[in-house]
Amino acid sequence: MSYKIETRNVDLYYGDFHALKNVSMQITPKTVTALIGPSGCGKSTFLRLFNRMNDLIEGVKIKGDILIDNKDIYKIKTTEVDQLRRNTGMVFQKPNPFPKSIFENVAYGLRVNGIHDRKKIEEQVEKSLKQAALWEEVKDKLKKSAFEISGGQQQRLCIARALAVEPEVLLMDEPASALDPISTSKIEELIYELKNNFTILIVTHNMQQASRVSDFTGFFLLGDLVEFDKTKKIFTNPVKQQTENYITGRFG
Amino acid sequence: MKRYLEYLIEWIIKGCGFISAFIVLMIVLFLFKEGISFLNSSPLEKNYGLFVSVNNPVRKLTDLQIKNIFDKKITNWSQLGWRNDSIRTIDINNIESIFTKEQLGTNYEYLSICINHYIDSIPGTLAFFSERLLSISSGTKEIEVDKISLWSFLSGEEWFPTAKPASIMGTLPLLLGTLIVSFFAILFALPLGLAASIYLAEIADERIRKILKPIIELLSGIPSVVYGFFGLVVIVPFLQRVFHLAVGETALAGSILLAIMALPTIITVSEDAIRTCPRAMKEASLALGASHWQTIWKVILPYASSGITAASILGIGRAIGETMAVLMVTGNAATIPHGLLQPVRTIPATIAAELGEAPYGGLHFKSLFALACMLFLITMLTNIIAERISAKRKLS
Repeated sequence: MSYKIETRNVDLYYGDFHALKNVSMQITPKTVTALIGPSGCGKSTFLRLFNRMNDLIEGVKIKGDILIDNKDIYKIKTTEVDQLRRNTGMVFQKPNPFPKSIFENVAYGLRVNGIHDRKKIEEQVEKSLKQAALWEEVKDKLKKSAFEISGGQQQRLCIARALAVEPEVLLMDEPASALDPISTSKIEELIYELKNNFTILIVTHNMQQASRVSDFTGFFLLGDLVEFDKTKKIFTNPVKQQTENYITGRFG
Repeated sequence: MKRYLEYLIEWIIKGCGFISAFIVLMIVLFLFKEGISFLNSSPLEKNYGLFVSVNNPVRKLTDLQIKNIFDKKITNWSQLGWRNDSIRTIDINNIESIFTKEQLGTNYEYLSICINHYIDSIPGTLAFFSERLLSISSGTKEIEVDKISLWSFLSGEEWFPTAKPASIMGTLPLLLGTLIVSFFAILFALPLGLAASIYLAEIADERIRKILKPIIELLSGIPSVVYGFFGLVVIVPFLQRVFHLAVGETALAGSILLAIMALPTIITVSEDAIRTCPRAMKEASLALGASHWQTIWKVILPYASSGITAASILGIGRAIGETMAVLMVTGNAATIPHGLLQPVRTIPATIAAELGEAPYGGLHFKSLFALACMLFLITMLTNIIAERISAKRKLS
């Protein structure tokens, strides 16, 4: 079977610090994969491999193969990086809307990718906001600043923004950690919906969240991928002792 | 014991705070008291008057008319609304060519008689004398002179505070000089400063930034007279050569110099504003496939826009208030500027140049205070706007 994303023996260094150690993982299309582990274990770093966000940090060295659709994304031309990032949407830990209107936030990705047809943009904005389950709440105030809506709405706006450019992969870096339980459950429902169209990777500190939303779970510890399997298996019958300790809350 | 010590320290700090606030307030009050007191006074020297025949129907003259009469630009009473008769001016400077020493008396004790007689016999006479020397007879009357009003002070197009017999105090040329020099200074400085701050904050790598930033900050520490010297020696001759001017000391020279002086402020403040843009926001833009430049242009700059505005207003404030350097390179002609390649005179330069010559407490002296008030109001306004804009940034 062909995987959407595949890493083979990936090592990553921040200067001298060995942040990812020989990580290999295969991700099936249209599934949700949760990445769990204590702070500083490398799960966010791992997530940021797939849209080459780690490139922005000075002194990063990456070894191994990282493939999306069987294409090594670290062997493409620098001009193709923008295209890669367009195909892999990202949602960040804290809601980070641009200082623009709600509409312009969602339209931004389209505009920077050279789409200027007003009608197309309007359609796409509406579609994305609907996908992010935000349309009903903001359809009357699209011209308002994105800072005027609540944190949970802002985060869904950020998801809509990422969806607008029609990526195939969605990277979510603790998307609900800054939100209240109600907003969190909305985001989780949303992830469940989005799974039908996107391949989703989600970093989370919340065990329940991982078990609720994901199909696969990877447990990271000190840069190692300790265990990677179906979520059900990881949470009910983990192979490694460390995994069990972590998910039962004995450390972390 | 410890509590008393803390109590004492608190009081000392409180006292220092009050004293400094009080001093600043007093300075402002003093400035305005001096500046406002000269409004509504006569532009003539104290105790002096203008005298004409009682038959002369002209009752009032403006400061400008008086100047033109004594400059021989107005020579006939018909120009002032009376009959066709030439104006004969008589004052302390030409009295001795009209009357002999004997006629006037050794201590001018017969001066009143002579003048009254002269006015009686030649109806077109306009006499300018001290009221102490002259007691007027029935054939003579004193002419009223328009008082200096706020409007004439602000809108008058000529600035001759030392003109005799009446000073002309129109500050429009000075205000326009200040505004034109500052406006073009900011026009030059803003694009350059903005480009430099974007470069420093976003493009330059850390090593280059660590060298460049202190150098730019160092620029703001150079005394303005040194800038002025540089302007005088480098910019002025350069402009003179390039534009084939008779004199290179022009508004343009001032603008260029002020632009250079405002650059460090603009660069450091807007660089700080640009750097406050959260990393996550930049990453969000890049993650959507935007290029670095698109991210700078469409996300970072809009985010930093209020900080950049504040930076440019601070730069304007510096440009408006700058004295020495401008004084040295703008040529100091108090005329309404009609272009960048003409000499102009700014408000601070006027104060600096004239305060030393103005008699203490006199009209000229007070008018300079009024100019200072004007300058104060302008810079206060720019500061308030800057405050407002940066406060708005904090809110969002």
